[in-house]
Amino acid sequence: MRNLFKFVAIVAAVFGFAGASTFVNAADAQDSIAAIKARGHLKIAVFSDKPPFGFVDKDGKNQGYDVYFARRFAKELLGDESKIEFTLTEPANRVDLLESGRVDIVLANFTVTPERSKRVDFAKPYFKTAIGVVSNDQTPINKVEDLQGKKLIVIRGTTADVYFSKIKGIDLVKYDQISDAFQALRDGRGVGLAQDTTLVLAWANENKGFSVGVGDIGDVEPIAPAVRKGNTELRDWINDTLAKLGKENFAHKAFDATLKPYYGNIKPEDIIVEGGVF
Amino acid sequence: MELDYQNMIGSIPLFAQAAWTTLWIAVSGVLLASAIGAGCALSLYLEWPFLTRPIKAYIEVSRNTPLLVQLFLLHFGLKVEALPCAVMALAFLGGGYMAEAFRAGLEAVERSQVESALSLGLSRYETVRYVVLPQALISAVPAIGANVIFLFKETSVVSVVAVTDIVAVAKDLISLYYETAEALIMLVIAYLVLLTPICLAVWWLERRVKHAVFGR
Repeated sequence: MRNLFKFVAIVAAVFGFAGASTFVNAADAQDSIAAIKARGHLKIAVFSDKPPFGFVDKDGKNQGYDVYFARRFAKELLGDESKIEFTLTEPANRVDLLESGRVDIVLANFTVTPERSKRVDFAKPYFKTAIGVVSNDQTPINKVEDLQGKKLIVIRGTTADVYFSKIKGIDLVKYDQISDAFQALRDGRGVGLAQDTTLVLAWANENKGFSVGVGDIGDVEPIAPAVRKGNTELRDWINDTLAKLGKENFAHKAFDATLKPYYGNIKPEDIIVEGGVF
Repeated sequence: MELDYQNMIGSIPLFAQAAWTTLWIAVSGVLLASAIGAGCALSLYLEWPFLTRPIKAYIEVSRNTPLLVQLFLLHFGLKVEALPCAVMALAFLGGGYMAEAFRAGLEAVERSQVESALSLGLSRYETVRYVVLPQALISAVPAIGANVIFLFKETSVVSVVAVTDIVAVAKDLISLYYETAEALIMLVIAYLVLLTPICLAVWWLERRVKHAVFGR
């Protein structure tokens, strides 16, 4: 009997712990524009292993399309593009990083979805994509129906994960790390890997023997910077900045600098969004 | 903080299904680990030549490398499938710990017991079988019990190689609905439901052997 009480006490303690975290959430506002300026640097979450959007190059520097925007945001807000503290993230951590106040902005290929919009505030988009499936040329996947009864690799918490979780008859193999998922594809642990079309195209371009058989799954979705829910001040600042940057064709410059080497002859307008106008 | 109780209750079948995977990995991993551990400890105790050094090396390697690293090596390095990989890694890690637990039990049997048995005319096999092992196992029970619970909890990292255990379910729910607190509380409850009976069983067994109830 005493053990039963102990059990109840432990469960109660867990719930109490969850309740206590409310105070932590209420204590922020570390991410107001005044607070960022006082701190002297922007805290931005980016990917570490998702070229050409966010990755760490061989010199240890953050690079990519997302990072290109991040540096410009720092320049616009603080007058110096180096005044950033990058936090490296995985897809599934993006919401928690904002909710726990560890970063001000997430610039990590973050597709706007209804579920996510409940938890974070998205600014206007700077990029867009549908879902694509990359597969080994020996076992090509040319339509979604080809996946029935087969194993499909996805990265936990991505739009591809959400999309295929709702389709019956496909066996999902889920990894947390993008690099692990691509390694699993090379090891043949699934017939294909589903991710943003823009990402799988870039990966297939770099990896011989793999190609993207289907690249237009789902709708073309906007990808946008995200801030903590309720931080309308920072969101509006990002929107104004994107509009301003649109006048100088900044997204096209970012495309030329970061994406072009990966995509070759693709039309920039197929994937980038200029001035926040989707 | 408001918890979404409806979603928490709705997730119970998902957790229940994945609990079987967790349980399966834990039980087969622990059984294999016990067999490996007992074999290693016994051959060290009997000082079988040629085996002593490799076994000692194995014990050091298994106990001084994290399960996560062993999983990565098996899955991405040696290309083992996800579920066998999880069981193998757990057995590999647990084998070292179990060997140490059995070895401590064997060493706790006093030398005079062995000498007495031999002088009474028991063979070497009979001495080990009827004198050493029963006493050794009883002294090893608390350590083995602790290892069982430890190994069970170690299964919580297997989702890194795409095994759908209860941790993977919690991570899925977080990434799909962003209800972090709800999913993690359900995960804590799931582990408590799985581990509390095991903990009670170990506690019961420890009490039984402490007062030498068995064999009466």
